[in-house]
Order: sequence, then C-alpha cells, then structure tokens
Amino acid sequence: MEIVLGMSAAFSGPSRGLGIELYRGAQAYFEHINRAGGVHGRKVVLKTYDDGYQPDPSVQNTMALMLEDQVFALFGYVGTPTVTRVLPMLKKFQDKTVYMFFPFTGAQPQREPPYGEFAFNLRASYGQETEGLVDNFVSIGKRRIGVFYQADAYGRSGWAGVRQALSKYGEKIVGEATYRRGQQFTGSMRRQVEILEESQPDAVICIGAYAACAAFLREAVDLGLEVPIANLSFVGSENLLELISEGREDSQRYTRLLVNSQVVPSYEDTSIPAVREYRDLMKRYSPEAPAELVKESYTPFAHSFVSLEGFLDAKLMVEILNRLGEDPQRTNLEDAVFSVKDYDLGIGEMVSFSESRRQGLQQVYYTIVQDDRFVTLDSWEDRFS
Amino acid sequence: MKIHKLFQKTLFGIFLLFGLIGVSTSILCVYTVDTHLSNEYESNSKGIAKTIADASVDIILNRDLSALQSLIDQFVEIQGISYIYITNESGEFLAHTFVPGIPAEIRNGDPFNLETIERRLPGMGDFVEVSSPILASVAGAVHIGMDMGLITLKIQGAIGQQVYLISSIFIAGVLATIWFVSLVGRKIELLTAYAVRLARDRDEAIVAHDDLLVRDDEIGQLARLFRYFAEVMDDKKARRTSMTGLGGPDSGAMGLG
Repeated sequence: MEIVLGMSAAFSGPSRGLGIELYRGAQAYFEHINRAGGVHGRKVVLKTYDDGYQPDPSVQNTMALMLEDQVFALFGYVGTPTVTRVLPMLKKFQDKTVYMFFPFTGAQPQREPPYGEFAFNLRASYGQETEGLVDNFVSIGKRRIGVFYQADAYGRSGWAGVRQALSKYGEKIVGEATYRRGQQFTGSMRRQVEILEESQPDAVICIGAYAACAAFLREAVDLGLEVPIANLSFVGSENLLELISEGREDSQRYTRLLVNSQVVPSYEDTSIPAVREYRDLMKRYSPEAPAELVKESYTPFAHSFVSLEGFLDAKLMVEILNRLGEDPQRTNLEDAVFSVKDYDLGIGEMVSFSESRRQGLQQVYYTIVQDDRFVTLDSWEDRFS
Repeated sequence: MKIHKLFQKTLFGIFLLFGLIGVSTSILCVYTVDTHLSNEYESNSKGIAKTIADASVDIILNRDLSALQSLIDQFVEIQGISYIYITNESGEFLAHTFVPGIPAEIRNGDPFNLETIERRLPGMGDFVEVSSPILASVAGAVHIGMDMGLITLKIQGAIGQQVYLISSIFIAGVLATIWFVSLVGRKIELLTAYAVRLARDRDEAIVAHDDLLVRDDEIGQLARLFRYFAEVMDDKKARRTSMTGLGGPDSGAMGLG
C-alpha cells in the first residue's frame, strides 16, 4: 500500500542542483517515515520526472502524473515558469481534485485567484523576500536599487516585488538587466553588469538561478561594481557558492558583498530542533537523486537550504497525510490541510492554514558568506554600511 | 541549334513577347506578394497584440505581473515575433522580453504611440512595431516587434517561388516554340530537298520522297504540287520537242492552240 506523490523538477540542465537537493531533503524524511511503517501503514513514494526547469516538459510530466500515474497529489515542483504553466491544468482537471503541495517558488500565481485554490505553499513568497531585502537596504541608506533578473515569470515576480517594496519609499528601480533562462556559469554577463553600472545603484537584487547569478557576481566584481549583491532563496545558495569559489583562492573577494535571503533557517544552527532532525536524517539515509533522471555529473551537498526546505515540505506533507486517516481520499485533502493550526515544524515558527491562508511560513532569513559557508546575517549596518 | 531564316523573326517576336509577359507578370507578382504579405504580417501582429491586450486586462488589474510575463513569453515563441513589451497607463514597463535589457530607443520612445512604426535597434536589427491598447489605453498598451529581416526573407521566399514558376513557364514555352519551329523547319528542309531532287531527277525524287507525297498536310500538298508542276513542265517540254520535230515550235504551238 502506497501513497504516490508526483514531482516534476529540474534534474538536468544548469539548475539541476535545485531539483536534486529538494528531492534529497524530502526523500530523507519520507525514507525515515517509510522505515518506521509509513503513514497508517502506507509508504509514501515520490514519482519523479525531469523537466529541466522548462515549462513545456513540466506540463507534459504533469499530464503523465495526473492521468497515467494517477498520483495522490503533486509535490515539490521547482520553479515559477514551470508552475505557472501547470496551474491551469489543475483547474482544467479540478474534478480529479489533484492539489499541488509546496512548490519551490515564491511567485504569486499559486497564492492568488484564479489558481490559488489548487495549491498549498509552505515557503514565504518572493514578495516577502524582496520586501525584506529592500527594507533592509533602505534602512542602511541604500535606496538606489538595481535588479538583475531572469527573463521569465520568476524574474518578473521578483522584479514586481522589488518595485512594490520600493514604492513604499517613493523610489523606483534605478536600472535593470536580464538574462535568458538556462544561462550557464561560463557565459558572459558583462553587458548586464555594464547596464546596471550605468544606473549607479547602491545595491543590486538578483532574481535568478545559481549558474547565472554566480556568473553575474563574478563579472560584477571583476568589472568593479562594488555594491551589495543580493539573491533570493531560489538561487540555490550552496550551488552558487560552489561555482564562484571553484578554483579561486580569492573567492572571499567575490562573496564579500553577497547577501542571500532564505525562507528556512540556517542548517548550521543546530539549536533548532528541525535542523538537528534534518542533519541526522540526511546523514543516516544519505538520499540520492533518482539515478534514471540524473544524467549529468552532480556532487550533492551534505546540507543545503534547498534540501532543508525539501525536508520541511516532506515533514508537513506527512503530517497532512496522517490527518487523512487510514483511508486517504483526495477529496478530503483540503480539509486535512485546513485542520493544520499552529503546527510546530520544529523551526520556531508555527504553521497554520485556512481558506484565506494558503502559505504556511512567513519568515525570511538573511545570510552572508563567512569562512566559505553561509551564516545568518546579524547586522546589515555593520556588514554593508 | 540551327534557326531557319524563315523563322528567325518569328522566334525573336515570340521571345520578346514571352519576355515581356514574364517580366511584367514578375513585377506585378512581386508587388502583389510584397504588399499582401506585408499587410498580412502587420495584420497578424495586430491580432496577436490585441489578443494579449484582451488577456492582460484581468492580469494587470490583479497586479500579477509574473502571470503577465508568462503570457507574453508564450507569444514570443511565435515565429517572426522578436519582442513584446507591455506598458501601463503611465508609460512604465510592466513586462518585456528583452535580454540583456530594454534598448535605449524603446526606453526613451513614446509608449503611448499606438501607430505602426518601423524601428532600427542597434545590435538587434530592423523591426515593425505594432501596438494595441489595453482597456482602451486606460490600463496601458501591448507593443509587439516583428523581425523585418525575417518578414523580408519570407516575402523574398514567396516572390522567389512565384518568379521561379513564371521563369520555368517562360523557359518551357520558349523551348517548346523552338521545338515546334524546328519540326516545321525539318519538313521544309525535306520539301526543299525533294524540290531540288525533283529538278534534277524526277523519278528518283519521287521514289526517294514517296513518304512526302502521301502526307495529308500542307507539306504533302506542296510536294504533290511540285510534282504536278514538274509533270506539267515535262508535258510542255515533250510537246515542245514533238512540235520541233513537226516543223518548229511556233507552228506546233499554234497547232495545239
């Protein structure tokens, strides 16, 4: 007896680290539950497909998951351009009551009508992340904000968040540059840096994936754009750090002004119960990405923000499945989710859902690089003023 | 190929006529195809711009710019569309497809202009830009840039096909004319050879060209006419000879009369 969850994510291409790490984190918890007997005796199984972070394959995969595999629910989708194209399918097949759980994106479409009713989110939104970044930059006198973003729905979502946050202060985005999804780290970002340099920003907020954002960071530092450069949680912080540090003895020069927002606490903070549990289960099960999907070389991280998020997603998913009882029905899923009130995931922030609250967590964390690892940023003033 | 003197002027006239038809048809065709296809591309682009504008209203009013971006990203995959940008009622850019950034020509342009314009963007190429208002312009406008290079290439391709067809017909027509003329010329050659032979040795000519004499076309008629004339000539000659034997040609002729 199994409960099959369907996952379409990037397991190939320049953003494969995101899908792989999210899967590994989730699998660590599911493995733990399955070994302990499962959810009411049923094992939780992840049926995975690779979409390479591209919308069309994502739609095809979702069709297969819903119509052929007949999965119980969709879980752990990666990316805004993919999820925004899948959401209309959930509405189209709404009679099948297939819900999307905890996509790895902070965009608005799955949080608002007309598709919000088909998805449940755990992480804070890009709006909350960008607002937090802007608020903190403005608080230290950095009001001229430039934006570097992916030319798609994800980039636009973050761009809109920065624009809205700046409007609170009567400011506008001073400059913007874009790149195409799928950009490799080896590609040049010189033109993008030059465009932003012309606008003389006090800080730049990047809304992209790790390969492109690492390339931008590299070019920015090399071309002398000496301003704080921020990234959103989606970037995949460890993947970015790995790329920018690889083969460089002076990597500190590149990460000195880097600040990344996160939607989960630092995996280094072992005072947090869920972090201790995560680290223990990751070590115990050493989950690996589905071999049939991973065609390119990839060395997984022992710990990462993305896998911690996957772990927390899985933990809450199991809690919801538990609440469905011994005979889980898709039609009861919504009620099971709405029954989650002040649930303690173990990270210090209580999780609640309701008709009008379809996002579990609200908190945003800020991290910087110290001794080649991400640590929590204590003072914006000290770091960037 | 040997062109018979008799047909040189005819052939030249036919070439001239075919050439004239070919060139004038090609010019008309180039003009028609160019005009029609250009209008069609512009009209299609306007249709797409209007579709996006209509679909954008709810999205813009709901302030969901990621959905707006997702919408235009799907349209920019259509062949020929090079860029799309959407401006709000203040002229601010809400979504666009430019990489690595919005070109200065567009950033500094007039976002309220809804006329079809031609743009040259350095490093990108030449474009025809069409626009459509969103909610009668109170919510902004959609602007679509069509790649003129690609449009020109498509038009040139269509024109090329038309000209190719006309040229093929022209060449086939000319070759067919030459072939028909040479067929006629060959028969005239045979007729000429027959006439020459008839003049030299009548019996041999009749035996050698008996196929000519049985033809039921103009060549056959002419051949039979030549033979008739030759026989008439022979009769006259024979009569003249016999008259000479009787007492001189004048008296003979007079005697026959």
